[in-house]
Amino acid sequence: MPLNASDRPLLDPAVVARLGTLELKARTIVEGFLSGLHRSPFKGFSVEFAEYRQYIHGDDLSTIDWKVYARSDRYYVKKFEEETNLDCHLMIDVSGSMAYGSHHGMTKLEYSTCLAASIAYLMNRQRDAVGLTAFDERIVSMLPSSSRSGHLRATLLALDGLRPGRATDVAKPLHQLADSLTKRGMVVLISDLLDDPDAVIGGLKHFQFRGTDVLVFHVLDPDEMDFPFDRATRFEDLETSDEVTAIPRAVRSHYLSEIRSLIEHYRRQLGASGIDYQLLRTDHPLELALMSYLSTRARAL
Amino acid sequence: MLTFLSPLFLVGAGAAAVPIVLHLLKREPEPRVKFAAVKLLKHAPVEDTEKHRLRELLLLALRVAALVLLALAFARPFLASGEAVTRGGVTIVALDISHSMAAPGRFERARQLAKGALTRAPSADRVGVVLFSDDASIAVKPSGDRVLAASAIDQAAPGFGATRYRAALSAAAQALSEAAGSTRKGTIVVVTDLQESGWDDGDRAAIPESTQVEIADVGPMPPNLAVTAVRASDGRDRQIIGATVHNTGPRAREVRARLTIDGRPAGEAAATIGPNQSADLAFPGARRGASAAVSVDDPEGLPWDNTRYVVLSGPNGPGVLIVGGSGELTRDAFYVHQALGAGGPGDRYYEVKALSGAQLSAEQPDKSASVDERLRSQAAVLLVSTRGLERRGREALGRYVRGGGGLLIAAGPEVDGNVTADILGPESAIKIVNVDSRQEARTLAPADLRHPLFRPFAGASATLGLVRFRHTARIDGAGCQTLARFTTGEKALLECASGDGRALLLASDLDNRWNDFPLHASFVPFLHEAVRYLSGARARASEYLVGETPPGVPRQPGIHTLRDMSGARHVAVNVDPKESDSGRLTVDEFLGAVTRLKDTPASAARVAPPEERGKRAEQEDAQHLWQFALALMIMALVVEGVIASRTA
Repeated sequence: MPLNASDRPLLDPAVVARLGTLELKARTIVEGFLSGLHRSPFKGFSVEFAEYRQYIHGDDLSTIDWKVYARSDRYYVKKFEEETNLDCHLMIDVSGSMAYGSHHGMTKLEYSTCLAASIAYLMNRQRDAVGLTAFDERIVSMLPSSSRSGHLRATLLALDGLRPGRATDVAKPLHQLADSLTKRGMVVLISDLLDDPDAVIGGLKHFQFRGTDVLVFHVLDPDEMDFPFDRATRFEDLETSDEVTAIPRAVRSHYLSEIRSLIEHYRRQLGASGIDYQLLRTDHPLELALMSYLSTRARAL
Repeated sequence: MLTFLSPLFLVGAGAAAVPIVLHLLKREPEPRVKFAAVKLLKHAPVEDTEKHRLRELLLLALRVAALVLLALAFARPFLASGEAVTRGGVTIVALDISHSMAAPGRFERARQLAKGALTRAPSADRVGVVLFSDDASIAVKPSGDRVLAASAIDQAAPGFGATRYRAALSAAAQALSEAAGSTRKGTIVVVTDLQESGWDDGDRAAIPESTQVEIADVGPMPPNLAVTAVRASDGRDRQIIGATVHNTGPRAREVRARLTIDGRPAGEAAATIGPNQSADLAFPGARRGASAAVSVDDPEGLPWDNTRYVVLSGPNGPGVLIVGGSGELTRDAFYVHQALGAGGPGDRYYEVKALSGAQLSAEQPDKSASVDERLRSQAAVLLVSTRGLERRGREALGRYVRGGGGLLIAAGPEVDGNVTADILGPESAIKIVNVDSRQEARTLAPADLRHPLFRPFAGASATLGLVRFRHTARIDGAGCQTLARFTTGEKALLECASGDGRALLLASDLDNRWNDFPLHASFVPFLHEAVRYLSGARARASEYLVGETPPGVPRQPGIHTLRDMSGARHVAVNVDPKESDSGRLTVDEFLGAVTRLKDTPASAARVAPPEERGKRAEQEDAQHLWQFALALMIMALVVEGVIASRTA
């Protein structure tokens, strides 16, 4: 379990899906997630007081609380909650393929918006600036990054209003966004990545070239991972309406091989490029994604 | 042509419908699923549904084929060859070889017509030949060998028999049914002179509905003279012989008839006979002899009706003994004597004698013979009174009947039921109860007009209904068949079997006392048919028609010797005088007497004779096609298994 040890059970996405607003979902996920974490790894500069610690050699002298020294004649340094100027941009794929969902859980888009909301909520707590870009074959909506109060609500509203769009072209919006970013920061891509892998990776490398850390959430439905169909079925493409009629038992092994090689390709190529890659099944808890996010964020700071 | 030894198993092929029905019931349209990663499926070797459907259809076809082949194997298929089955129809040429065809040049014309029918028959048809007169025989079974059929026609010659169309069509229909097999297309070409006498009264022939009947008319009979009857009556030293000569020609003819007795000329008589008229010629003072023949010269007409033979020694007609109360014919059975002595159909008449019951009960009724000998010489015995009939007489009558004799019991006022029960024995268990009280008048209704006894009434059964029975006896018999009932429902005429003989039991008298039967025209034919029926094969007739000769007597005109239980005696055999009748049918009248029966496969199967079935079985046995069918079935199942396992 990559999550730090905690006995608290993770939230089932099916349960999350039944929660009311997106904000409530995000808060439930993040608060629950944070309550299970040890706080220490993420302390840093902040205006918010955290604790006192006895001075040790090498500490910044400016952090010594002289008032305490006056009272106790001992050197103590004042620790604050971490405060950063991280500029994080969420890129969420709203192409037609993201509308797919198994019978019981969330669609990939619902899962993705929930994930994006959770990250935004978490970032808001961390005082990070958060931006949002939704795209299919083009950018359909965009919120510039900001850490101002009230921006979280605007972000959540924007996420709530996302609907499945048209065909996927991940690379093009990536390049557009990479060109438009003026600050280094972090980009979180949430997509099913059912596009040309090399083009997608090219787009992501563009961010890296500009010094931006990238985290990729590859969201797939369990049906896409396991291909559980058994009867002869007419499969209709959600984006192109192309139809393929197939006997699942005849094509399953080949399909699974294809999807695994696609995943493996992304994992290997992105890993080689220093881009964090996290595969997410829509039936897996969202907290796993948050953990990945925090790991990447820590590296970005 | 492929045919089957046990075609009923083909019904099992219906089981092939089971996988088809299952296939249709199970068949559902494939569900439509909106899916994101269709492009990955496109890259996969997607199995085409059409291919899959084809595979399923192939599997279905293999399963159906396996079931059909199994049914086929059980049906024992074989390729019929030769005479068993061919595609064409069957043409049967029925050639009339009756005496009427024997006039000069007439049969040659018939041969031409018959061969013409063979030539006209479709080339794919098999042809057969049936020859008929009194009876019919299949001269050539249907085959493709037309030379054989033509040869049979060439070898055929007119005989002495009378024309019987029923026999001809029955034989032809039988030949058709034997040969037709699966094909029902048949044609019967009847080559005949369409003689009216060829159909008996009420006679009908039955042929399959699909069979076509064509008539090849030989034409009317040429002018003909025929001696149709010869009678002899006793004088003291000499006898009077009379003959009836019929002229069928359109012109009057001078006829000179010659009498020969025992082969030697014994007189001549001449007469002029008008067109289509008959004349009686008498030869008075003819000397006594064993047999006589009367002949006329008619070189242009039919040859065998120019001479008619008669036996003079012994009874001219078969003897009929009437057992009455007094032994006097005029007192005991006046009407019966008159009726039987008057002559019946075909100028058949009987020598009627009477004995009283007491005389029959005596040890030796006359000096010449014992009671049994006396009875054995009778064609039939009529019991009109049981008065004086003692045990010995009853036993003699019983022995006579059981030995093959015929007894007619007229249960009138003088017949005691107990006595008649003694005569016929316990097995018949007949009961006769005389009803003295005056009854309501009733009439007679035959139960079955096809019974030989009622054959003369087939076209006019109503004449029997004219007879009014004022008194009747109540009759019954456990082992007896009811031949007629009164209109009140009571039994009127029973036939009881006893040993080899038979007895007829009439519930009234024959002497104009309880009924007016003797006063009606139906009385004479009824009595004649009754005696004829009772006499059966045991009749001691001395004159036979060609078609009715007993075993041992040649079927040709002349005086012949007949040896039977009572010894050797002479009998005369003549051609049927009806054959000299020039009356003709139209084609429509001929066809009107033909009944069409519906063709059914079952009837076709029934009529298949054993030899035909044996031939088919031999063919099937030699070919063993069922083994191939089973092998193919196994192959189909193996292929099905392989394909199914690959699909699974």
